[in-house]
Amino acid sequence: MLVTQSIDSTIDIVTPENIAFQYEVAGPFRRLPAFLIDLSVRGGIWVTMLVIFVVLGLAIGGINLAAIGITAWLVSWFVLEWFYGGLLETFWNGQTVGKRVCHLRVLQIDGQPINGMQAVMRNILRLVDMMPLIPLGVLFSGEESMLLPTCLIGIVTTLMNRRYQRLGDMACGTMVVVEQRWQYANDAKRMRYDDIERLALQIPDNFVPSRKLSDALGAYVERRSFLLPARRAEIASHLAPLLATQVNLSKDDGLDDDQLLCALYYHVFVTKPTASEIHKKGKNKAPLHPAATEPTS
Amino acid sequence: MRIADLLANRQHQWIELDRLCAVLETQRRRKLKAHEVSQFAALYRSACADLALADAYHLPPNTVAYLHQLVGRAHNQLYRTRTFDYRNWGRKLFYDVPQQIFGDTCVQLVFLIFWLLFGMSAILAANPESWPKFVDQVMGDEQVASLEENFATPIAGRDASINPVTAAMYIYHNTGIGLKCFAGGLLILPGLLITSYNAVVLGTSFGYMARPDVSAGINFYHFVTAHGPFELTAIALSAGAGLRLGLSWIKTDGMKRIDSLRKAATKTMPVMGAAMTLFFGAALIEGFVSPSAAPYVLKAVTAVLSSGLLMFYFVVLGYPREHPRAT
Repeated sequence: MLVTQSIDSTIDIVTPENIAFQYEVAGPFRRLPAFLIDLSVRGGIWVTMLVIFVVLGLAIGGINLAAIGITAWLVSWFVLEWFYGGLLETFWNGQTVGKRVCHLRVLQIDGQPINGMQAVMRNILRLVDMMPLIPLGVLFSGEESMLLPTCLIGIVTTLMNRRYQRLGDMACGTMVVVEQRWQYANDAKRMRYDDIERLALQIPDNFVPSRKLSDALGAYVERRSFLLPARRAEIASHLAPLLATQVNLSKDDGLDDDQLLCALYYHVFVTKPTASEIHKKGKNKAPLHPAATEPTS
Repeated sequence: MRIADLLANRQHQWIELDRLCAVLETQRRRKLKAHEVSQFAALYRSACADLALADAYHLPPNTVAYLHQLVGRAHNQLYRTRTFDYRNWGRKLFYDVPQQIFGDTCVQLVFLIFWLLFGMSAILAANPESWPKFVDQVMGDEQVASLEENFATPIAGRDASINPVTAAMYIYHNTGIGLKCFAGGLLILPGLLITSYNAVVLGTSFGYMARPDVSAGINFYHFVTAHGPFELTAIALSAGAGLRLGLSWIKTDGMKRIDSLRKAATKTMPVMGAAMTLFFGAALIEGFVSPSAAPYVLKAVTAVLSSGLLMFYFVVLGYPREHPRAT
């Protein structure tokens, strides 16, 4: 488990239901688009409010209402600048507009939802992560100029820990995860081609692949639709000849390496009955698994 | 039971859970009917169990990966962000925070640094013979000129409709400075620099305006007296909270650095809340009382009252005492 964790950018979470599942944590450049979206949303709101308040104020009742409008605009400017992220993450379950668009979410490092204080704090501390600021004038030899945030501190800190936390995240014990949305794809169903089915029937029933082998078969078959035939043949050629002898099939029958692996996959995941004791195990947990207790077909 | 049949059985439930997640994610929680909500919980538990048994069921890798993301999404919808604990804010602000500030050496240290720098700059600026160019070197000619111009005319009240605008401006600007001092404190040096810079510039302005030959001086003090105590205290307080945050990297009390930082963050956020309250108070006074035509006595009384309130807050409320109940 440790090995896979250090290879992939995933984090294991244990839920209150005592189930471990994995999240992909979001690196700095996955978070950048979300940040830019938030920046433009803030800019958009800022300008829109300025226009609305001033126009409304002037249109309705002259200078006094305009003053109220500008007051409201200034206060909301303050709120937008310092609390936009904090408030949105609090009331939108750990997401801002940008994070929602990019399917990111802020969570505590143990996978629990964040609380309001953490949301506000990590957004205030973003100021530090955006340091050091360099004056643009240095680049263009101007005197007075805008400050450009380099975000170096944030980038370096995210690169130095496994959860890609910036300083603000570290101080609050939070992390940003990618919330993937997949359509369910039943690969086993997709495999029902006649010749593969026929081939699978020839595989002796007593052939029970090891755990690793069936994982490898799964990994191959689920990815083969992304590979060109030549590449499939190349990959399959490493495994298929060895397996062909185990299941008493030979190349003389015009057997294709790719097809053999598909047939084995079909044998393992589609036609092979799972061990009956596993089924019984499922029965014991009947309340949780209504489907698993149905009679075997 | 074949795996294919098992999948066929379960996938309806997974797809239904997926659909409910999508509804919940788009904030249409109220659109879910009661039976759908309870169904969501049941489906989530069942998906959890499927994932736990994926190994025993010998599910294909793709399905396992799908279950991981499905359970993750559902988990995030079931366990949602806790919003602010409003009911405890009063207790935090008036009971925990003052006691914490009272015993916090970082806050004391920053108060000391702030007022020392402030006082020294004020003395240097007020006495041009010892360092004649001090004011110009600190603030620059233009800033001095604009400062004098701002206070060239006596404070004689102004169009009242401008008051809220300026108050909002001060909230934006000054609270912003406070938050910068606080956040910068995380790296210690930036926080100390921002704080020292503000202390020196403010001290210099106060000192310069105290010179007998500066005619704008009297108007300046007429303006700043009322809101001074709140504002200056708030800056020092935010910087102190920031420094506490930064020092937690170094003084860990035997914890891991990261845990020490996390603990300090939880403790300093309410202090920053108190500082922000002070900034808001200062901004209101600065927007409404300071520019009014009221006599200087009234403004001095405001200053004395606000200083008294601060003393009460820091010393009386802050004096260490036994906790009446375990927290």
